[in-house]
Amino acid sequence: MSAAFEGLAQLADPLVIVCILVGALAGMLVGAFPGITATMAVALASSFTLTLDPVPGLAVLLTIYVAANFGDRVPAILVNTPGTPASIATTFDGNPMARQGRAGVALTTSAMASAIGTLVGLIVLVFAAIPLSRIALMFGPAEMFALVVFGLTMMVGVSGDNILKGLAAGAFGLALSSVGRDPITGTERFTFDILALSDGLPFIAVIIGLFGIADVLDQMYTHRSALHSPIREMGRWWPDRSELRTMLKPLGIGSAVGGAVGAVPAAGGDIAGILSWTTARKASKEPEKFGKGSLEGLTASDTASNATLGPSVTTTLALGVPGDSVMAVLIGSLVIWGYQPGPGLFTSQPDLVYTIAGIMVAATLLTLGLSVVRSRGVTRLLELPPHFLWTVIIVFCMVGTYAVNNSVVDVVVMLAFGIAGLFMRRFGFPAGPVVLGLILGSLAEGNLRRALEIGGPANILTSPIAMGFLVVAVGAVTVPPLVRALRSRRAAARAAR
Amino acid sequence: MNRSRTRLAGIAALSAVAALTLTACADRGGATGEDSAAGGFPDGDITLVVPYDAGGASDLAARTLATQMEESLDASIVVENRSGGAGSVGLDYLAAQEPDGYTIGYLPVETVMLGYQGYDIDPAAYEPLGQMVSVPATIAVPADSEYQTLEDLIAAARSGEVTVANSGTGSIWEAATTELATTADAQLKPVPFDGGAPAVTAAIGGQVDAVVAGISETSPGHADGTLRVLAVFDDEPSPALEGVPTGAEAGHDVVIGGWGALGAPAGLDAEVKETLSSAVSEAAETEDFRKIIADSGNVPMNVPPEDFQPFYEDENERFAAIFGG
Repeated sequence: MSAAFEGLAQLADPLVIVCILVGALAGMLVGAFPGITATMAVALASSFTLTLDPVPGLAVLLTIYVAANFGDRVPAILVNTPGTPASIATTFDGNPMARQGRAGVALTTSAMASAIGTLVGLIVLVFAAIPLSRIALMFGPAEMFALVVFGLTMMVGVSGDNILKGLAAGAFGLALSSVGRDPITGTERFTFDILALSDGLPFIAVIIGLFGIADVLDQMYTHRSALHSPIREMGRWWPDRSELRTMLKPLGIGSAVGGAVGAVPAAGGDIAGILSWTTARKASKEPEKFGKGSLEGLTASDTASNATLGPSVTTTLALGVPGDSVMAVLIGSLVIWGYQPGPGLFTSQPDLVYTIAGIMVAATLLTLGLSVVRSRGVTRLLELPPHFLWTVIIVFCMVGTYAVNNSVVDVVVMLAFGIAGLFMRRFGFPAGPVVLGLILGSLAEGNLRRALEIGGPANILTSPIAMGFLVVAVGAVTVPPLVRALRSRRAAARAAR
Repeated sequence: MNRSRTRLAGIAALSAVAALTLTACADRGGATGEDSAAGGFPDGDITLVVPYDAGGASDLAARTLATQMEESLDASIVVENRSGGAGSVGLDYLAAQEPDGYTIGYLPVETVMLGYQGYDIDPAAYEPLGQMVSVPATIAVPADSEYQTLEDLIAAARSGEVTVANSGTGSIWEAATTELATTADAQLKPVPFDGGAPAVTAAIGGQVDAVVAGISETSPGHADGTLRVLAVFDDEPSPALEGVPTGAEAGHDVVIGGWGALGAPAGLDAEVKETLSSAVSEAAETEDFRKIIADSGNVPMNVPPEDFQPFYEDENERFAAIFGG
């Protein structure tokens, strides 16, 4: 335990406390700004923090990481625009809640769920780092492919009321994921000789278009018919007792899903949020409310996407493999500070693990406090007349998207997907499956191709983990309809009798 | 309207405060830049284009160098990341800028590779200002691998196929694998991953037989015993990899790796070029820069443009041969 004491004692330095404060403010701001992701913020800050000592430096970077995952919920809930990809699933229920005049409760619930998710994820970091990293090492291309196929079966879950339209949207997402150079041969596909598309469609531009811009366009299109009621009131801020009780189950589901997804390298809060949302819907007593302002859905998605933080840090520290894109940046700084991420780190510098966990706990609590207080100020933005608000949102989305890579192509892609999103909305196609298809499609393809390059089909067929996931995936698609068919047959037989 | 303006101003102010505080936190020594700029250049901000995302190794090298160069040039250097297309987006942009010295860029080894991989990038479109970093290739196997030496691995690859992970299609590490396979007349099958870290992990996890990657990517695994680095493809052994032979010592004389230089669009005025390249050279010599590069496991260099130019052209010919251009 002396390692824990030594590690946590490092936080008592006033400089560290200042750094945590600065990181929290910067992180919440970049989180709330659509387009600017935690990865970018951490990358830019790391050029400043390198000259600091490791602990204050880590305090800035990790706090930005944590705080951005709170701040990004605010635009997701209020204007249906995910501040970072991690809050995609927050829009599913958070924005409908705000439209129903429950924005206050939505913001507070989101912050609480995010905080609890982060804290649960950190428990993984402190207690399960080494065994977890051994499991993560077993995931080669074959296993990753199977896991992603399993993830794709969730598409039915995010499809909403019309499964066929949902699957069509998912197929559209999968097709979009094939844009860019072939992951193995480098052949260009659907790039139309546009250099910027050779790495695939810019993901952030696509989601900002599909969610934020599409929503603004939709409001412009429908505001006269008053189908859309603008958010007029924030409502209560604190969830009441019965609401708190309904949060319990999604909190558990979100923690479990987020913890598991976070440990898998290359899978982060965006995927976890969506998976947890669908899982919670299946487990819910009121699945019909999901997507229409369900407190459970919001809780599940936000708990899960934040529960990935701890395990991501774990795989990063214990394996030297970045758990997500922010961690890829952080590894660079750690190495320069003289820490070698890898299994050796936990034995050679156990206090560092506690320092990191301590910083993240402090950052979580501070950010939770700030969210609850500060959200009230931010929401004043919504008192603007809608035509000003729309302009502000569009300008913010454009600036944010351009800032990602100083690329005009990204902005054009964002606007194009805004228009595509408007059409999808008008004709009842959900945006969730498109995003899921886009994220998972390229992961599935790359890993399948790699697995085949390494050992042919035998590489997948002989891996117990891969086959396990594939069997579960097939089951997830075939069992529910079979059960339904059996039930209706039985019901029919009973009726005949 | 008023409200949105105040809000924007508020956000701008807050970000400024955050940036200032970060800078204040950073201990930057007390040295002030002396005025060494000649002929009126530079008279304003210089943009440094990095063709990769912020936070990567190239970005870090460029940003560190930029900070040092600001002092000797007495001008602000604004680092601009324009990533995409394996670096071609940023390089393409750099080539299209005015050769007035106010836009310079980071030239990675890909500058002489992309042209042979279907990208419209011509090395002659850039004027190198000096090389400052070198990233020798290494080859590593899982710690429990049966291959103890490079010779073992090559012997196995002559009688059957050996899979070798790398960071991606068209990467320098894939080219290094191909080069080694050709020189040794062995069947090394490159397997491209999505980045260097996943490739190294696949080797640690035993999903592939070996991995070719930079020193900074394989040395942590070598140090904690999860990887065994068989050779470093450089002229000299690396201090970060004690006891690991060079390619020549291990029986296969291959010298290959990544590098980073600074460059400008071709057609730069001789005087401006002189000012910039001496600033690059001064910056590359500073202790701060050398330490950060060395600590990240790479080799700090300081090669002036006149020495770098022939190397640049040789590398161009080498990759023409490797990619059959």
